Amino acid sequence: MTMFIIKRLISILITFFIVSVIIFLMMHAVPGGPFDGNDMPVSEAVRAKLMASLGLDKPLHMQYLNYMWGVMQLDFGVPFQSPGETVLELLARAWPPSLLLGGMGMLIGVPLGILLGMAAALRRNSWIDYLASAVATLGLTIPVFVISMILILVFAVWLQWLPAKGWGTPQSWILPIAAYAMIPMATYARYTRSAMLDTLNKPFVTVLRAKGLSERRIIFQHVLRNSAIPMVTVFLPMFVGIATGSIFVEAMFRVPGLGAYFVSSIRNRDYPLEMSLILMITIMFCLSYLISDIVYAWLNPRIRIEGRKE
Amino acid sequence: MTASDITEEKHYSPLYFIWLRFKGNRAAVVSGVVLLVLISMAVFAPFITIAGYDEQKFLERGLEGPSSEFWFGVDDLGRDFFSRIIYGARISLSIGFISALCTVLIGIPLGAIAGYYGGWIDWFIMRIIEIFSVVPPLLAAMLLGALTQGGFLTVVLIAALFGWVQVCLLVRAQVRSFREKEFVRAAHALGASPGYVIWRHLLPNSISPIIVGFVLAIPLAMMLEASLSFLGIGVQPPLPSWGQMINVGMNFMFFYWHLAVFPTAALAITVLATTFFGDGLRDALDPTLKDR
Amino acid sequence: MLGDVMSPALELRDICKDFAIRTGGTFVPKYETVSAVQNVNLILPANKIVAVVGESGSGKTTTGMLALRLLEPTSGQIFLNGTDVTKLDRAALKPFRRSMQVIFQDSYSALDPMMTLAQTVAEPLLIHGIGTASEQRASALEWLERVGLHRNYGQRYPHELSGGQRQRVAIARALILKPTVLIADEPTSALDVSVKAQIINLLLDLQRDMGLAIMFISHDLSVVRSLADSVTVMFNGRVVEQADTETIFANARHPYTRSLLDAIPVRNPRDRRVRAFLSRDEIASAIPVVSHRDISSTVEPSPRPQLVHLDQTHRVEAIVTA
Repeated sequence: MTMFIIKRLISILITFFIVSVIIFLMMHAVPGGPFDGNDMPVSEAVRAKLMASLGLDKPLHMQYLNYMWGVMQLDFGVPFQSPGETVLELLARAWPPSLLLGGMGMLIGVPLGILLGMAAALRRNSWIDYLASAVATLGLTIPVFVISMILILVFAVWLQWLPAKGWGTPQSWILPIAAYAMIPMATYARYTRSAMLDTLNKPFVTVLRAKGLSERRIIFQHVLRNSAIPMVTVFLPMFVGIATGSIFVEAMFRVPGLGAYFVSSIRNRDYPLEMSLILMITIMFCLSYLISDIVYAWLNPRIRIEGRKE
Repeated sequence: MTASDITEEKHYSPLYFIWLRFKGNRAAVVSGVVLLVLISMAVFAPFITIAGYDEQKFLERGLEGPSSEFWFGVDDLGRDFFSRIIYGARISLSIGFISALCTVLIGIPLGAIAGYYGGWIDWFIMRIIEIFSVVPPLLAAMLLGALTQGGFLTVVLIAALFGWVQVCLLVRAQVRSFREKEFVRAAHALGASPGYVIWRHLLPNSISPIIVGFVLAIPLAMMLEASLSFLGIGVQPPLPSWGQMINVGMNFMFFYWHLAVFPTAALAITVLATTFFGDGLRDALDPTLKDR
Repeated sequence: MLGDVMSPALELRDICKDFAIRTGGTFVPKYETVSAVQNVNLILPANKIVAVVGESGSGKTTTGMLALRLLEPTSGQIFLNGTDVTKLDRAALKPFRRSMQVIFQDSYSALDPMMTLAQTVAEPLLIHGIGTASEQRASALEWLERVGLHRNYGQRYPHELSGGQRQRVAIARALILKPTVLIADEPTSALDVSVKAQIINLLLDLQRDMGLAIMFISHDLSVVRSLADSVTVMFNGRVVEQADTETIFANARHPYTRSLLDAIPVRNPRDRRVRAFLSRDEIASAIPVVSHRDISSTVEPSPRPQLVHLDQTHRVEAIVTA
């Protein structure tokens, strides 16, 4: 088991480095730096001075090495667009909104999705089943920004119940959270429904019924446990995806979170911020996959026991 | 069995069963019809619209709502909105198809080679796939889009770049499972070259995953295009893109709802239709593919 | 059998096949070599049928694959009609492949599900570029009839046929190039008893008509008896006994052969022999022991079992004592 973890960590590190090199090269491959195409053109001399002060005049591999060396020490540099703080500080400032809305989205979406899925599995071919399937499919098929748009159009423009811009009053959080909640809800509804249906059809459930166990006990103690594994393993990556801020939801609702800063960092060619964001998000995804794999291997008795036999 | 029995028996080719299964899936059939309508509208655009997509002929009637004259109203630059939406269908659908085509053109050879030869070739290709899977595709796509200032071709390339992995994995799995089958060994025993075996035996048996991969890549590419265009780094004006129109529409939506509603509806309907159609096709071709 | 003037249709000399199995090691993989086939010598004379029998894992299928060079031997030589084909590259080997063909046990996966029967049977002609498209098709349909299926079956697909019919198609495909050697890897094991007999009769008829040499791999001695001219018994990757069919059935010397014979079902329960299911150790301990003075070749005494000639056509693995 430990070997497995170590091997995966190494593989993650290697992937991480390769990704960082590729992104670094990509960013610098396009001509033009942070001071070109601005509203205020700067003279050549001033520009050269500014570039030097930011270390942009050094050869590429030096820039890369300097940057990665800093990353090792958790120093991600200073963003161009707000030199008053380090990248870390800016991220610390920008993250809470994403985390808050995303987290609440998951908090609402996951349980709702599970309930919907359970209801659908237990009352097959009833209206609940169709509703749940419809919700699941729509939530996963329609891109999140279209969903956001629909939510805005219906609730903010037409019915005028809720504000369209989402960062100020708690009311303004409702729509973004609803948008965030769609994907987890749809995913979990679908997973729960299919996993439960699979399990309910297994012979051991018939045996349990024959033994006389109450339906409720069967469901909660036996069926749910068996269905739980895929649902648990998908949780962490999904959380990472949402917690790092959906770019579109934030753009549409004007939320000052990670996603918004990512967009602006690209527009402004803010290299440190861009790199750091992508690297951080990539590492978080890698780690979340690793943890999910470990949790899965641990939870799945077949793998756990076989692992011990080695 | 007499000779007459044999010739009179009815022949049911595999295709017939596929059609039967597909017909049973109502959502898929409806989506198919919707798609047909959309494609026709896109193809015959000049015949059903009263103006080109970038002709600012109606400036003095700007921002007017839908009427019998302008079915979808007029946009902020005096263009007939219905025309914009229909030509936008052309853009979305063509990006979807072309990207899916590129996806398949990249994914099939890589998947076939990785599946057939195994060993270090397979290892190498899987590592590449791993790199592509770990970076959130949307972020990387955005980076690429921003760096290249968008454009039709760029969007197609980006969509292909992130879509090939799915097709590659599907083809690889299929080739691996068929590689050990006896008819492949028989072909080897006959002296067939690897190229022949892959082309004549393995790929035809992988048609199902290939078609499924192709059809499901279309909505993904369309979504990517809409997302990038929404952020301004996808299809550039004056080419009409629904994503772009949504972005613009958001500024006007409180007073001129038609600018936001129609592109949103168009995008939602198209993506839904292609996804349901693709799912239906997948279920009809090979029900075992459902969970991949 | 051994003194043929003509070179045999197929000869395997000292064929060995080792596989490297990964047995662990965390960063640096550790491998163990497993010997699937050890020092197999086999002669298949022209126009004869040699059966290779043994249990699963005895190496008999591997031997067949090695003969076809579908697996590469670790050492040893393969002679096809007198020519050493062991080391030929793919291009050089191709013309020889016309002389040696194969039919498999699993008739379903032996045919490409996406090709019609006519296309499948014509495929060998296509690969070797023989004849025009219409000639190939005509030939394929002829062969379908020759194996007992109506010409109209040409347009059908494998999934429409029964197991026995598919096996016939596989036979047609194998023989359309008129090979001199056919390797039949358990072709009847997956078929019903009645169909088994039909297929065997078909093979016998074709063999007689075409002068074919067949290596018939099987685990079923009762089938072998009606079919083969000589029998090679394999156990654990080695040949343990080789003789004419009659000799094997009448006078088997090796304990493993005996246990195989004992396992053949008999019609009358009263005739049932006492079956001894021997474990590997029991077999190893019951190996015949012969004195080197009794055997006709120059073999040194050795505690390890070796393959020795008991007479001109009968070889057994035995321990030779002084």
